[in-house]
Amino acid sequence: KEKRRGRGRYGGQKCGRGHKGERQRGNRPRLGFEGGQTPFYLAIPKYGFNDGHSRRRQYQPLSLQRLQYLIDLGRVDPTQPIDLTQLTNARGVTVQPLKRDYGVQLVEEGADIFSAKVNIEVQRASELAIATIEKNGGVVTTSFYDPRSLEILCKPVLFFLRGQPIPKRMLPPEDLVRYYTDARNRGYLADPSKVAEARLELAKKYGYVLPDITKDELFKMLSTRKDPRQIFFGLAPGWIVNMADKKVLKPTDERLLKYYSS
Amino acid sequence: MICAGGPRVAAAAAVVRAWAWAWGRAGAAGVSTAPAGPPAAPEPRREKLLLSPLPLSPILRACSVPVPPHRSPVQAWVESLRHHDDERRGLTDLHPDVFAVRPRLDILHMVAMWQKNFKRISYAKVKTRAEVRGGGRKPWRQKGSGRARHGSIRSPLWRGGEWLWGAFAHGPRGPTSYYYMLPMKVRVLGLKVALTVKLMQDDLHIIDSLEIPTADPQYLLDLARYRRWGRSVLIVNVNEMPENIGTAAAGLKTINLIPALGLNVHSMLKHETLVLTLDTVTFLEKKLLWHDTRYSALYPFSMPYSDFP
Repeated sequence: KEKRRGRGRYGGQKCGRGHKGERQRGNRPRLGFEGGQTPFYLAIPKYGFNDGHSRRRQYQPLSLQRLQYLIDLGRVDPTQPIDLTQLTNARGVTVQPLKRDYGVQLVEEGADIFSAKVNIEVQRASELAIATIEKNGGVVTTSFYDPRSLEILCKPVLFFLRGQPIPKRMLPPEDLVRYYTDARNRGYLADPSKVAEARLELAKKYGYVLPDITKDELFKMLSTRKDPRQIFFGLAPGWIVNMADKKVLKPTDERLLKYYSS
Repeated sequence: MICAGGPRVAAAAAVVRAWAWAWGRAGAAGVSTAPAGPPAAPEPRREKLLLSPLPLSPILRACSVPVPPHRSPVQAWVESLRHHDDERRGLTDLHPDVFAVRPRLDILHMVAMWQKNFKRISYAKVKTRAEVRGGGRKPWRQKGSGRARHGSIRSPLWRGGEWLWGAFAHGPRGPTSYYYMLPMKVRVLGLKVALTVKLMQDDLHIIDSLEIPTADPQYLLDLARYRRWGRSVLIVNVNEMPENIGTAAAGLKTINLIPALGLNVHSMLKHETLVLTLDTVTFLEKKLLWHDTRYSALYPFSMPYSDFP
């Protein structure tokens, strides 16, 4: 097709650009600009599916296949409780607390090939994922981390270098309390007896024999759980970790102890 | 040099140049070979000058880092600097993922250019019309004078006869920095490619240690000449030990001694020959191969990691 040239009687003179102004001089503003008035695409608010999308809680998916892959390669140690810190150190998941990530969720991809006995702690888990892990003799717990605790959990070394005492982990907000007090989700605030009942129910529903973990040699490790206010397994809130001198400092003042143990 | 003078002077000069004479015409081309050679036979002097006797068993070194099964190690001769003839003291295996990588010349270029430019700060700065002294007053009235209209004598239109009278509108402004960092793995790969290229082009020599018999710089030059190493030699060691080679190389411009931490692509390309000790080879293999199998950095490597070296 012949290119439009700006020559000759019909294509020349103003060359189809109009007379003066931004049109001819090639300085028109961007698409959607309305001369300074709030443009249409900004004036109309989001509704329904899209509104508040940037304020929603996000959970990084962790498939059972990926977990099995990490255990097989030796990046994650199944003989110790698996925490978000262990997963981040193994570079299994990348969690960005600043992008409204509230943790990790277990996903069913790879449920048929999963065969590892682990004590895992995530933030959300689907029913089939819980069933798969319990069928293999493991333990699942869902717990809540507020953004500050999540950042500390993901990058502990950077936090210790700051020299601040470990803060208390906050309790979940109203809409999540129901989720974490429910035994079917294996929430950390749920009643342990109801959790045992829920395990039996799941076994019945999916049709597998629930193995007895009390007779397991790793029972002590499998049953270790964190306190609702604790962020790290061996450390309590209020302690300061000194990386340079390799020491842990604990508070001795009564008021501090009362505050951190409340 | 034909020594003129008494027998004492002749004997002294003969002692000094004995090791040069012993190499024959192929080596010491800088020394004029007079037909009248030294009076004493060269053999007895040679035994005296060696620091330690030649070992009976050859030096054989295997790779310190395990080699992947689908690749086999590259091999190189182990030489020595103790005597000019001391080539082929043994054999060493070199890891193929360091000394036999793909010859990525584009990466060599990238790393060499980065080394040259990232330190550059250009201090060129030219004054604009606001900074040039003067030029606040309108030179002549707007209308009626018959000349072009102007607002100040320092506008960039004013170049005139003297280049200083006007000012630059878009000249270099202030110190500009050309700092940028290539990814760590690219820089590591650049080192590996440079080592590979040196090995494959017969410019890499491996020595067992840095001991030399004399602290004379001429010894090193003649050794390099005899062994046909090239015009410039870069000797790398992990931690500098012997004093002899330190004093010898200090006086020389073309033969340079650097620690292993200072090895870089620019130096390797600048010098024609590269000479590594066995300790350096172990050190380089360990450090350069770690990057192939490490985790990515969660936070900068300058902060402490519990599981990284």
